[in-house]
Amino acid sequence: MIQLGELALQLALPISLFGAAFAFFGGAKRRGDWVLAGELTVYAVFFLLLLTSAGIVVAFLTDRFDYWYVANYSNRELDTYFKVSGLWAGQRGSLVFWVLLLSLFSVIATFSNRLKNREFMPYVVGVLLTVTGFFLLVLLFADVNPFEKLPFAPADGRGLNPQLQNYWMTIHPPTLYLGFTAFTVPFAFAVSALLNGRLDSRWIVITRRWILLSWFFLANGIIFGMRWAYEELGWGGFWFWDPVENASLLPWLTATAFLHSIQIQENRGMLKVWNMGLVVTTFLLTIFATFLTRSGLIESVHTFAENTKIAFIFLGFMGVVAAACIMLIVWRKPLLKSEHQIESYLSRESAFLFNNVLFLGAAFAVMFGTLFPLITEGITGQTITVGPPYFNKINLPLGLGLLALMGIGPVIGWRKASRRNLVKNFRMPIVVGLLVAVGFYLAGARHGMALVTFGLSAFVMTIIIVEFVKGTKARSRIEGEGHVVAFLHLVGRNRRRWGGYIVHVGVVLVFTAFAGSAFDRELITTLEPGDSVTIESPLGHEYELTYQGLSSERGNNLAARITALMDVSQDGKPIGTMTAEKRLYLTWEAPVTEVGIRSKFLEDLYLILESVRDLNGAFLNDAKAQRATFEVQVNMLVGWIWYGGLVITLGGLITMWPSRGPQTSSTQEDPRRSSASPTI
Amino acid sequence: MKSNFRFLAAIGGVSLVVGYLIWTGVTETMTYYLTPIELINRVEEDPTFHQVGVKVSGRLEKGSWSRDSDELLHYFTVADLEDESVRFSVEYRDILPDTFNDQELQDVVLEGRFREDGVFDATVVLTKCGSRYEATPEELVGDYIE
Repeated sequence: MIQLGELALQLALPISLFGAAFAFFGGAKRRGDWVLAGELTVYAVFFLLLLTSAGIVVAFLTDRFDYWYVANYSNRELDTYFKVSGLWAGQRGSLVFWVLLLSLFSVIATFSNRLKNREFMPYVVGVLLTVTGFFLLVLLFADVNPFEKLPFAPADGRGLNPQLQNYWMTIHPPTLYLGFTAFTVPFAFAVSALLNGRLDSRWIVITRRWILLSWFFLANGIIFGMRWAYEELGWGGFWFWDPVENASLLPWLTATAFLHSIQIQENRGMLKVWNMGLVVTTFLLTIFATFLTRSGLIESVHTFAENTKIAFIFLGFMGVVAAACIMLIVWRKPLLKSEHQIESYLSRESAFLFNNVLFLGAAFAVMFGTLFPLITEGITGQTITVGPPYFNKINLPLGLGLLALMGIGPVIGWRKASRRNLVKNFRMPIVVGLLVAVGFYLAGARHGMALVTFGLSAFVMTIIIVEFVKGTKARSRIEGEGHVVAFLHLVGRNRRRWGGYIVHVGVVLVFTAFAGSAFDRELITTLEPGDSVTIESPLGHEYELTYQGLSSERGNNLAARITALMDVSQDGKPIGTMTAEKRLYLTWEAPVTEVGIRSKFLEDLYLILESVRDLNGAFLNDAKAQRATFEVQVNMLVGWIWYGGLVITLGGLITMWPSRGPQTSSTQEDPRRSSASPTI
Repeated sequence: MKSNFRFLAAIGGVSLVVGYLIWTGVTETMTYYLTPIELINRVEEDPTFHQVGVKVSGRLEKGSWSRDSDELLHYFTVADLEDESVRFSVEYRDILPDTFNDQELQDVVLEGRFREDGVFDATVVLTKCGSRYEATPEELVGDYIE
């Protein structure tokens, strides 16, 4: 099975390149049979990559430590669950997994378009197979073959990094990879449109759901990553502006910009070159992210490998793609002319435009900061880094600008908003926003930026709620339906618009959570059993934690699980216990911290067992070795990130859900109607 | 033409703001990333460099770690990766990472300030343990022969 997988990997490369050639030439020469051959290749490559992946998984499950990759990422006692996820635990496996997902999406795109959109398909298939071929080339020729064998068979593997032995870590990378690879499909359609000259909104309409799907997975992947960091890194934070985190954020930022700017093209026939630029940029950033995550180019807590050959291959590929796309866009410039122009700053077009510039500005700033050490080293020979303060300083104002636009964009009129439109739609939300900010100030919150965020969040929420209420009432009146039915029909009839609003609600929750972290409390203390520590929540109540002592036990794949037990009471009333651990893994020299979290709606009590004075004594359950140092935190509103993530998921599913009836396409709507137009 | 101008003016305006934010962000938060040798040369040339926050990557000296009785003040020695005679003591008042271990050769990254008394006052200590994440086949062979 393993050897079959290796053989399949070697076969997949020439087959995908032949398929790409067939598809491109078939498209150029209008030879249907050649194109069909290319399309069949897509299925064949997917089958081969399934065999390859199965081969790797089997190697993990059967403890074949004579394979370098398995020896480095597994050991006998590792949970079966984590052995399967070994497929994406390291660079080599994740490249296979990446190309498998791309191949899966290629199959779906090819199959669902076997009878329609035929004018696009030859080049779409050609592009998809070319990208597949590139990754296969990397796998086979850049010293990253997952089937590389060791000259001998070790008795056991070196084990998986304990920080990766976490539920969220098994689903975070696949989700991100789904987002990265799904974006190749809209990119392929865009290139195809450039090649065949069909440069109206057709390619966007076809790939709209793909764009949403990719965005949806990226957003979820990023939130899963935050959740992992919060639970596993044991610092009480969820985002560190680490190069790898930034790399996954970049395509999300440009994809979000793209998602909004395509609506201007669909409604007003503008920004065609811009959109082409964005789709190409986002695709390149997905490749960049894949490459940065697994190349070790920049130091990072997440990057687990170093290989410079692969860096040059990736950069070369990105350069070639960028150059080819720029040439195509320049060649097709006459067909990409704008049908309208922006008439006023006070218009939805302009709101979308500012939205785009802010997203791209944020993306540029993040990219610049991430690459800053490389840039300075290249220019001056001296490495200079910028840290989290840089990223926070820049992204805070940009994020607040975007938050404000999230309220303005959906209700401002197209072309040129009337004074009446502005007063009618914005008076009440502005009042509510101001009241909320003042209310929090009076309640004792003294953090300027957090107050602005709370106020803007309330402003946006009011606008969205008013929109839902107005829509439901109107429908209920016209159709004579009850309010609940009217609400469901309203959302169902224009999923793209109302689903988009629900996504916005989720984003507001996440923003509010970020602002909440301004009020976090923390303290560090060393305790003996019986000692207590108190920490006051910003909400006014007080937690008291009483240390009960340590206990040590053997666990699966663990030499020891050393658990500290705390009794917790709130304002003198016992509310339960909390534990925090140090784990000694069989395959890992350093102890690993596992935090304890008590989540409530508004705040988390977060307990870190920082260090045990006498770890060996504690390991042997010595009653005298109980002295330990703890960090206790009260983290405000962290839970709202996860709730916001769920709301984003719900809204995203609504926007993507296939409709049975004729889809209310925004292109059929009259853009001159002042406030009722779709928004993603 | 007038509208195109609006369009460009809007982009230009926001770009300027972003550019300004990047500029101030970089100048206010940038940190030199140095080796111990570079750091010591630098402060000799320019004593005001004692006040500047820097990032240093060096090697933790075996057995050099000790801590104060309140358990949160740590002392250890860091040497240059290439020339081990270039070294300085480090003081650090916070929690050390799990992977910090002075019983074996370990590379560490420090952030902080090199004080006038020749002690590095660290605010951040990170350990580099790349070799523990992934070993080359040769290293792996070495591991098992040990």
